[in-house]
Amino acid sequence: MDVPLIHTVHMGKRYQLLSGDLHALTDVNVNVQEGEFIAVMGPSGSGKSTFMNLLGCLDVPSEGDYYLSGRVVKSMTLKERAHLRNALIGFVFQGYNLLPRLNCVENVALPLVYAGIPTRERREQAREKLVDVGLERYTEFLPPQLSGGQQQRVAIARALVNNASLLLADEPTGNLDSRTSDEIIAIFERLNRERRLTIVLVTHEPDVARHARRLIRFHDGCVVEDGPVSPSPPLRQALP
Amino acid sequence: MIYSELLRESWRAMRVNRMRTILTMLGMVIGVGAVIAMLAIGNGARQSVNAIISSMGSNMLIVISGARTSGGLRFATGSTPTLHLSDADAIRELPGVAAVAPGSPGTAQIVYGANNWSTMVLGTNPAYLRIRDWQLKSGAGFSGSDMRSAARVAILGQTVANNLFGSINPVGQTIRISNSPYQVIGLLTPKGQSFGGQDQDDIVLVPVTTAQRKLFGAQFADTVRYIMVQTDGPELLSPVQEEMDALLRQRHHITGSQDPDFDIRNLTELANAAASTTRIMSLLLGLIASISLVVGGIGIMNIMLVSVTERTREVGLRMAVGAEPADILGQFLTEAVLVSTLGCLAGLLLGMLCVAMVNQLFHMHGVITFASVLIAITVSVAVGTFFGLYPARKASLLQPIEALRHE
Ligand SMILES: Nc1ncnc2c1ncn2[C@@H]1O[C@H](COP(=O)(O)OP(=O)(O)OP(=O)(O)O)[C@@H](O)[C@H]1O
Ligand SMILES: [Mg+2]
Repeated sequence: MDVPLIHTVHMGKRYQLLSGDLHALTDVNVNVQEGEFIAVMGPSGSGKSTFMNLLGCLDVPSEGDYYLSGRVVKSMTLKERAHLRNALIGFVFQGYNLLPRLNCVENVALPLVYAGIPTRERREQAREKLVDVGLERYTEFLPPQLSGGQQQRVAIARALVNNASLLLADEPTGNLDSRTSDEIIAIFERLNRERRLTIVLVTHEPDVARHARRLIRFHDGCVVEDGPVSPSPPLRQALP
Repeated sequence: MIYSELLRESWRAMRVNRMRTILTMLGMVIGVGAVIAMLAIGNGARQSVNAIISSMGSNMLIVISGARTSGGLRFATGSTPTLHLSDADAIRELPGVAAVAPGSPGTAQIVYGANNWSTMVLGTNPAYLRIRDWQLKSGAGFSGSDMRSAARVAILGQTVANNLFGSINPVGQTIRISNSPYQVIGLLTPKGQSFGGQDQDDIVLVPVTTAQRKLFGAQFADTVRYIMVQTDGPELLSPVQEEMDALLRQRHHITGSQDPDFDIRNLTELANAAASTTRIMSLLLGLIASISLVVGGIGIMNIMLVSVTERTREVGLRMAVGAEPADILGQFLTEAVLVSTLGCLAGLLLGMLCVAMVNQLFHMHGVITFASVLIAITVSVAVGTFFGLYPARKASLLQPIEALRHE
């Protein structure tokens, strides 16, 4: 069997607060193979975002280990983690997180700046990704001139521009109406299907989760459910 | 991160907060402008002091006649002439003495045709021009027979010539000094202002013998007010001063404990003291100006801190998509250095403008040297780096998630 893209061993995250330790995440053991499409659900405060931040190497676990492509994230330097985020991971946030001063192409090209790619190539690749998400007519627009759905599509294009193998989306449709939300999910589905892009998506809406093929449910920082999304039959299963 | 990208990013950030950037820069503009102007003005002042010193004559001692105290009363030095021409002759024999010139000054009314002019008339000898390093523009100096016969001949300073003769060459003309006719035999080159701001060219020279016997007769029987002494070299100034003191004490019969009836001053020393005062002054001015540069730097730091706080989310996002701490550090540092450098360039212009204006208004010769421009640029890059470093470091040390969550 291949080295799993994501492999966590008793992964936990503890925050030290004045009132004592807070276990945001406890004993998470999850394996994710390349090409999976996973929905993460759970009540508010159950540790979903914490989980995503760990997967995205924005943070390191305080307990256990996290292997990304077989490499221990915890023992990497800040610089190595930055390179990993740059080359391997694409983020989509609930609040889009576009830089309002940069136009769409520049926003999408941002990860390529840190990859050291020259300006012209950056623009070319960024434009391609904007075409992918159906925004070819908005390349020179500034984010505030776009609708929420359009902004989220720009953010997706940005997550894709470095040809990441892992797309992490934390409530990407949280701010969108159901129609726009469907469009965004359709893009995710297509990317997963056509490019075997690994997607982990946090959502509160069962309607959105339905499009994934595997569901991980959190409660109080623990994984309480990990299995195929019902009712659609699982195509492939990668349970530990 | 590619360097041109850093510059472009910084430029963009500066343009977004245009007003803020300009105000921040203003601190640097004023600081650099002040430093440049002060250095130039200090330089100019030093140059004019040096010009005055060299116009005074070099390696000079001056003996001023008159008791410092007399019967318990203290008189102004020079108020009673006690030096004689024979003293001057005796001093000339001392080793290390290059030239000696007596001085008997007085004020007189000079008349030429319908013009008249009141000025200082100085009785002296041919060595005076040599000691003062003063050239004749036209005509000749006093001859030995002029001195011996107390001839009624005069050498005019430029100011006197201008006032009496206008554009006519005065040499060969006859003027009246205190109603006696004198022949003008020479015209001096202009020397400009002295330390006290006096016009050194407002003067008429006559032979000292003429001054004593014919011009100020009653007042200066055989005495002179002062004696100028030039030594062979600067290192001889103090030995000659000591020997002169001993010689004059002996000639004037002054025993060890008595106060002498003369006063020897080292003019070169005084001049050097004045020069070093000017140097210290210009240094102080430069220092005060540098303080405004530091204040400008603190302004940059302040704004950069605000900017880092404002852009925390942006920093988080950049880190999330792959920026290393070094990239973030570079971004904010570039911005700080860019602000300070642009401010510095504008400050250079402001400084040049100030210097040009001061030169115009006060007839100074402040020059902006290449070195001072180089210093200003180096210092402002250093200031930008120094004061930008802390905010930039602060930004680069942000935790990606904390930064992303920042509101
Ligand atoms: N930086 C932090 N410091 C302290 N506690 C934190 C921090 N970040 C998260 N937590 C705590 O960890 C727990 C899990 O938070 P997390 O953001 O992962 O929840 P979530 O499942 O994403 O919730 P939501 O659905 O509302 O986004 C919460 O109790 C939260 O208060
Ligand atoms: Mg969350």
